[in-house]
Amino acid sequence: MKIKGGFILRSIAGSWIVVPIGQRVVEFNGLMTLSDSGAFLWRSLERSAGMEELVASVLGEYDIDEATARLDVQEFVSAVGERGLLE
Amino acid sequence: MGTTWGKFNDELKNQAKIKGVPISGQFELTARCNNSCKMCYVCKPAFDSEARSKEHSAKEWIKLAEEARNAGTLYLLLTGGEVFLRQDFMEIYNELSMMGLRIGIYTNATMITPDIAKQLGRIPPSRVEVTLYGASPETYGKVSGNPYGFEHALHGVDLLLAEGITLDLRTTVIRDNTNDYDKIAELADERDIILKVVDYISPRRDCGTPLSDNMRLSPLEMVQYEKYAQENYIKRMKKLQGDKFSALDTIEDRSATNSNKYPFKCSAGRSEFWVTWDGKMTPCGLMEEPATLPFEEGFTAAWKGLKDACASIPVCYECRKCSLRYICFTCPARLKNETGFFDKPAPYLCEYAKEKKYSIQA
Repeated sequence: MKIKGGFILRSIAGSWIVVPIGQRVVEFNGLMTLSDSGAFLWRSLERSAGMEELVASVLGEYDIDEATARLDVQEFVSAVGERGLLE
Repeated sequence: MGTTWGKFNDELKNQAKIKGVPISGQFELTARCNNSCKMCYVCKPAFDSEARSKEHSAKEWIKLAEEARNAGTLYLLLTGGEVFLRQDFMEIYNELSMMGLRIGIYTNATMITPDIAKQLGRIPPSRVEVTLYGASPETYGKVSGNPYGFEHALHGVDLLLAEGITLDLRTTVIRDNTNDYDKIAELADERDIILKVVDYISPRRDCGTPLSDNMRLSPLEMVQYEKYAQENYIKRMKKLQGDKFSALDTIEDRSATNSNKYPFKCSAGRSEFWVTWDGKMTPCGLMEEPATLPFEEGFTAAWKGLKDACASIPVCYECRKCSLRYICFTCPARLKNETGFFDKPAPYLCEYAKEKKYSIQA
């Protein structure tokens, strides 16, 4: 899975914000905010990553159990997917 | 991803203010305009070659935008003068639109061609605000000196709307166009767009031309105009939205809280900046000073210098102690332009606050 091109993840005044750029604005003329863990997953998805890879990276970064990590990743991926932001 | 954007945005702006992040800014790309509005403070003639020669290049504005973005700017408004007088406007806009900024454009729309509208439609700005100076060629001409402006502006508006661009209409009110409110509101309604009203006219920021009090509304007229516009707005919204419309949303809060030590109620100089066409960074478009030089010293140093300078602007303690401060729209910029001092009450604003109080009591 990979995030579509045409988005920039920015850290502004302590918040994570995804901003569409260029022609991507036509289909997404707004902004999206992410939590710290959301931003972490977003960055992984910018490089492309599979479900297992994402779960492993979350487990490496945060002190949580695997079931919670998997649930968080699934929720994030489906939220991003529903918005049509995945390639 | 759970919270509503409105609440989040308020909190984001609040955090920017606390942390001194320049989240919001305006680039005044040119002082030249094809209109010559009586009340405007940035209106050099369209073919003023001297003014043109002093404008910063597209490359310089693009570099400054990059620096601003790196310092935390998210919202950037491009304004003038009339921005579309710059042959290189689309070059600037296209580059900026790749930087992760939310870009707005202020224009009179008279120079919008089908080609410009199409180009903007391909990478739409977050919003365009078009100022309409009257609801007929006569009124528009009287205010702006451009009798063809009315027709051209509406044509421009329609071209932009046809490209799906988010657009608000604004009108700046002086005596000459006071009676056009209803018709301008109709033009907005027909297009299903919002109408914003600017009814306070500040004396010029450079104090170059004294403002004639016969041109702007008197404080009493302003209060009456606002009351009329407010009632009319509520009526129109109820007609359009029925029970879904809440009149509470329309009440403007001019009493934003602030610390007694800081002169501004708004975010100017704390999380908002303005860069004038000739390259000065100021807290807002009404102010000539304090100013720093972002093109010379770099954005970050200029922003720091501006914040420091703003914090030492003297506070008007008479205004702070005034019982009408919650309905007054006094601020350092307005006080300076009205009186020549940051800390001297302005009779025009005091009178407005009194009339506002009478109006509320009535």
